Amino acid sequence: MAIAISDNARSWIERNGGVLTVRLSSRHGCCGGGVDIAVAEARTPSDLKHYRELDLDGLKLFIAPALIDQGLVVEVEGLLGLKHLFVDGAPIARRRD
Amino acid sequence: MTALQDSQSPSTSEGMGLFERFLTVWVALAIVAGVLLGQFAPAVPETLSRFEVAQVSIPVAILIWAMIFPMMAQIDFAAVLGVRRQPKGLIITTSVNWLIKPFTMFAIAWFFLMILFRPFIPEELARQYLAGAILLGAAPCTAMVFVWSYLTRGDAAYTLVQVSLNDLIMLFAFAPIVVFLLGISNIQVPWDTVALSVFLYIVIPLAAGYTARRTLIARNGAEWYDNVFMKRVGPITPIGLIITLVLLFAFQGDVIIGNPLHIVLIAIPLIIQTVLIFFIAYGWAKAWKVPHNVAAPGAMIGASNFFELAVAAAIALFGLQSGAALATVVGVLVEVPLMLALVRIANKTRHHFPAAGEARG
Repeated sequence: MAIAISDNARSWIERNGGVLTVRLSSRHGCCGGGVDIAVAEARTPSDLKHYRELDLDGLKLFIAPALIDQGLVVEVEGLLGLKHLFVDGAPIARRRD
Repeated sequence: MTALQDSQSPSTSEGMGLFERFLTVWVALAIVAGVLLGQFAPAVPETLSRFEVAQVSIPVAILIWAMIFPMMAQIDFAAVLGVRRQPKGLIITTSVNWLIKPFTMFAIAWFFLMILFRPFIPEELARQYLAGAILLGAAPCTAMVFVWSYLTRGDAAYTLVQVSLNDLIMLFAFAPIVVFLLGISNIQVPWDTVALSVFLYIVIPLAAGYTARRTLIARNGAEWYDNVFMKRVGPITPIGLIITLVLLFAFQGDVIIGNPLHIVLIAIPLIIQTVLIFFIAYGWAKAWKVPHNVAAPGAMIGASNFFELAVAAAIALFGLQSGAALATVVGVLVEVPLMLALVRIANKTRHHFPAAGEARG
């Protein structure tokens, strides 16, 4: 499987449109330089050409190629009814430039 | 353990670009350029210092916002929702950052600057340096920790949560801690001055960053925000930092020329404090069997400083010509080589910690 999704995360994604995007998000260091962090969002990406589109047992998954088959897990977490997705098991990656 | 986590720790040259690896050199060059500017073209800093509104220097305020805004614009406050994850790591680093670090910084800096180095530093100047050290100790790093975390193969999700949590706490805790520690150092700073500097250099950039993030993501999408907007805005921070340092040292020229040894004397307690805090957090994580991919970034977040904020607060509270501002710049001078040394220690001691998945931090 390209990426695992916990049962709770799957239910939450299904309730929020049934689409999952897993991508790399840049973070800049204050002394310069930067890194990429894996993030997950329940929406369709704006630029599809940077993603592999897969069907994951009924969920539409858009995933950055660098994150496929890395043993990562998409989970959902939250407090007081506010919830968001996150990618568990991902180390920080060198920024793509 | 995931396939990505199996791989070796990245080398420094892979993890950091030319600018950040040699930050100490650029800071040293900025000091020289600033001193030369102050000595040979004093009209430049004098003219710039005239642009003031309500005793706030406009050129300095612009430079400080340029340094801090990009850092604030990349904070994802939604990550705070993960606060129940990696509870041991969060307890350790949050406690070290807010309950231990400001007070050990005060104690170490006070002992060295006010007692041990008394023969070398006049008391009033030593008190100013102590104020700078206090400002450094009260502001935990919020951006460079992602690079330190990368270099130690840290857990990305934990790093995001810890940084977001620290940013929220900083909003409320920075000013009271600073006022308390300055107070017991017999350095009187009016509350309204501290409140103004927190409003100008934390609240305004944070609100602007949050608004920019929400608005631009809603309008152009998250990928555009990360890959276009932040890629353009992110490099402004180090540029703003270097220009601020040139300006600062244009005013500090006489102090540096008269007392070059002071930079070394200020650096000693700052280095000891950073190493001590790293080992407190790292040792605590070892005792609690926290996995290395949380222990290492946790200790790095504990040890490193948000020096842009410290420099900004020192300038706002004490002025460009103050000893406090000089002390915060020494923090910038030693930060990168020191943190890289701690990265090496963390990577060499990886085998003493459980791997990710074997323990929950």
